[in-house]
Parts: sequence; structure tokens; C-alpha cells
Amino acid sequence: MQIYLPIAELSVNLFFLVGIGGAVGFLSGLFGVGGGFLLTPLLIFSGVPTSVAVASVTGQVVAASPSGALSHYRRGGVDLHLAMYLVLSGVLGAFGGVAAFSLLRNAGQLDLVIALGFLVLLGFVGILMLQESVRALLKQRRGIVVRERLPNQHNWIHGLPMRVRFKKSRLYISVLPVLAIGLFIGFVGSLLGIGGGFIMVPALVYLLRVPGNVVIGTSLAQVVAMMGATTILHAVQSQSVDILLAFCLMVGGVAGAQFGAAAGKHLRGEQLRGLLALLVLAVAIRFGLSLVLTPADIFSMAVVGGAR
Amino acid sequence: MIRLLLALVLALAAAAPALAERLISTLSNDTIEITSSFDGERMTFYGNIAPEAGAEQRYVEGPFHVVVVVLGPTQDRVARQKSHHFGIWLNTDEVVFRRFPSYFHVLSSGRLRDITDFGTLTGNFILPEAHAMVPNEAGLMKTLTFGRELIRLMTQEGLFGVQETGVNFLSETFYSAQLILPSNAPPGPYIAQTYVFKNGAIIARKSEGFAVRKIGFERFLAQSSTQYPLLYGLACVALALFTGWLGGVIFRR
Repeated sequence: MQIYLPIAELSVNLFFLVGIGGAVGFLSGLFGVGGGFLLTPLLIFSGVPTSVAVASVTGQVVAASPSGALSHYRRGGVDLHLAMYLVLSGVLGAFGGVAAFSLLRNAGQLDLVIALGFLVLLGFVGILMLQESVRALLKQRRGIVVRERLPNQHNWIHGLPMRVRFKKSRLYISVLPVLAIGLFIGFVGSLLGIGGGFIMVPALVYLLRVPGNVVIGTSLAQVVAMMGATTILHAVQSQSVDILLAFCLMVGGVAGAQFGAAAGKHLRGEQLRGLLALLVLAVAIRFGLSLVLTPADIFSMAVVGGAR
Repeated sequence: MIRLLLALVLALAAAAPALAERLISTLSNDTIEITSSFDGERMTFYGNIAPEAGAEQRYVEGPFHVVVVVLGPTQDRVARQKSHHFGIWLNTDEVVFRRFPSYFHVLSSGRLRDITDFGTLTGNFILPEAHAMVPNEAGLMKTLTFGRELIRLMTQEGLFGVQETGVNFLSETFYSAQLILPSNAPPGPYIAQTYVFKNGAIIARKSEGFAVRKIGFERFLAQSSTQYPLLYGLACVALALFTGWLGGVIFRR
């Protein structure tokens, strides 16, 4: 069944859209990530214009997180104070990201920067995650009891000026690294159409030493608020949010995520992280190849401005 | 002066006895509506070649050739070229084509080069290449190269095309032509130009307009995204939050 997407101005198979939404939703439920980093590339590779894909997936990412954020909030797993700082700086970063998005699109370099961004970011994160999970698995095999690495009490980042007390996270740290993380994720997230949960969680854990019981909830709350703001920015600035496309992806994604979460209970944490790392690396390599290999067609075309 | 008048009179006298033809034509639909299930649309152009109104003669003499040119709304379009630098492929060169047709299809009753000469074809913008040859600040050679590639890309997308068997004559003078407008045909005003050729010269022409437009819900969405972008964005976020929340509630147990 074909469905016409009014902003992308092309017709796509409805089951294909809901299907990839569901598949990515399954993986995102399984690994506890937003799934934007899979969905945006999938849409781009299947012919949706890059700008529409990025902007619409932003809307989908918003839908992927509220139920998780709510249940964490009920359990007291959200540090609202910390989330507020992250969201405010994140929205600021998103302004920059959306502006850069429009500039790059007009200059014809949007696809290049998105491919490079995915390659560098996913490649870096993927290698780190793979290293960590392989090490954990090897240790386990040798019979060493793996203990969650206890965060050191302080590192140099905490010593920066402008300290603020975050009660729920039991932290008394400088806001500068918090703002920097928010700014970076806001910028990258709006430019690449990803929620950034897979950068946010390690950053909170390893850089800020946020305790484990509030990391996921805070990250989810931050993703909802920041990607919501980014969706609005994209709608105003580039006008390329396709609500119908986003809705089809949402429906698939929300349903898929529930099954993914159920399946995730049968796998161990290290295995999950290892699989996720492989997945992330695969996407990074796919983008890397598209940059390095001789393209099938060295010419491309685009519409400048709107139709008249 | 007198010589000029004489020439004019002679010319008129020479023209008068020749057969004059006119084209009576129409098309199957004057609006194509894009709904949620829009998957392209079939259009039919048909017409008859008849003697000029008020003329003495009761018949026309062929053989005729008919060419239908369907032209979509114009856009500014850019063609870009990638090249290999620092180990990666990136866009390094581009040419902007102003007011370039977003859709262009030619249907004809025979091979175009058999129907008439190259000059007539390009002069009347019957060949796709004619649209890419308009003067451009990029310079002639670059415009020609990029224009050719742009037309190739548009043809791959199904937006440009030449069908030299697209027009069928059902009798000596009655023709019909079918065109399947693809689902990615951009909305906007379209023009269908019909040319009648005889012995390589255009003897009659007629143009008809039709519109491709989004209707109903699709139109509402497309309009609100450009006219009320802020509200549209807010609606997207509200929809996302609601869908996400609902999903959590439905699947809780």
C-alpha cells in the first residue's frame, strides 16, 4: 500500500515505513537507545531526501522516549535539576545545529557532513563500546568476578569553577562540563537527526560520575525535551519535517520498542553492549565506504529554493 | 514602399490557396489531485486536425505528425559534481539552472529527427537539451556538460523523457497520446503544448494547462508546514509525545 508523503513529495510503501520503524524500534528497545542513528541512515539509503529524513526522524525520536522517561520519573530516576541544565544548553546547541544544517544544505555539503559526522561519531563510540564489552566478556570467561567500575570520587573536570549542587545525583560539580555536554549533543543531534543517548549516557557516567540509578532516566528526559525543541526548530527553519513520515515511523517504533525491551531481558548486559557496538560500527563503516568508494554517479542534483 | 506592398500582396496570394489546418484538442483531466494514496496518474491527450474555420475546403491532407510537450512548474535546480580529494569523494563543482522545468515529457508520433530539423526542435524547446542550453553564468562548456548530466538524472527519476511512439493516429487526422504522470511529479501548474507538423514545418499549435495539486489532508499538511511552521512543529511534538505515551500505556501489560 503506497502512501504519499506531503513534504517529501513522494509516495512510499506504508508497510515499509512502519516496518523499518518497528525493526529499529525493536533494536532500540533491546539496547535502550533512541534508534535515530539507525533510522536516519536507513531512510537516506532508501531514497528519502536527506533533509526530510533528518528532520522527520527528530520527531520520531521524541516519540521513542516519553514512556521510558515517565516510568523512570515515577521511580525517582530523573534528576530534573541536571536535566534542566542539559536541556537548556542542548536547545542552544540545537539552534546552532539547525542553522548549520540549512547552511550546509544550501552549500551542497549536507550529505558529506552527515556522512562524516556519522562515521566519526559512530566509529569512535562503537570502538570504545566494543573494547569495553570484549574486555568484560574475556574477564568473565577467565572466571574473574566483574564489578561495575566504581566511579572515582572526583576528577579534574569536577574542579572547574561555577559549582552547583545536584541533589538527586549527589553531586557538587562545576556546571561548565554539564553545559558543554548539552551543547555538543544538541548540535550533533539536530545536525544528524539522532537523540544522542548513546553519547549522553557514557558522558554522564564517565565524565560527570552521575550515579547509575539516575543516568538513564535523566538522559531520556533530556532527549524528549531537546529533540522536541529541535523538531520545532527544524519545522520553522528548514520546513522539512514530514509529519506523516514521522508518524508512520513512530507507530512502528513505539510498538517495536516494547518487544525489544522484552527480548532484552534474556540477554546479559555485556552481550547487549557488544552487539550494540557491532551495530554502531556497521553503520559507521557503511558511511565510511560511501565516502571512500567511487560513487556510482559522480553527478547529483537538488532543488534550490521552492517551486514556483 | 510600393514594392513592399506588392511583395506582401503576392505573399498573401501565394498563401491563400494552400490548405490551412487547425487543431482541435483536449485532455482527459485538467486537475490531477494528489491524495494520500496518490501513485501516479494516467492522462490522455487527444485531438483532431481539421480545416481552418470558415475555409472552403472540407478535408485536410496529411501526412501529419503530432508532438505533445508536457512541461511542469519551473524550479531553480542545481547539478553538482563530486571529485576525489583527500581520499574521499565530495561535491566540488556545481552549476545552477534557473527556472528549470521540474517535469518534461515529449510524446511524438514518430522519430523527432524524422519529423523536423534540429533547429525547429530546439527553437521551440521540444528537446529536453534545449532547456539546459539557456545562457548561464557558469560558461558555455560547463553549462553543456552539467546540463547533459542534469537531464540524465531527471530522466532516471522519470521526470524527463521522450517517447517517440507516444502519439497514435487512430485515423488520418485523429490522434491520441497517453502519459503516465509519476507519483513524484511535483505539484503546480503544467502546460501541454501540442504541435502539428507537416513536411517538417509547424502548421498548427495549441497549448492547454492542467494542474497537479495536493487536496484534502495532504494539502492541509503541506500548507500548514509553510504558513504556520511554528504551530506545525508544535503539533508534530504533541503527536510524538502522545504516541510515545500511548505506546507505553497500551503495552504495559
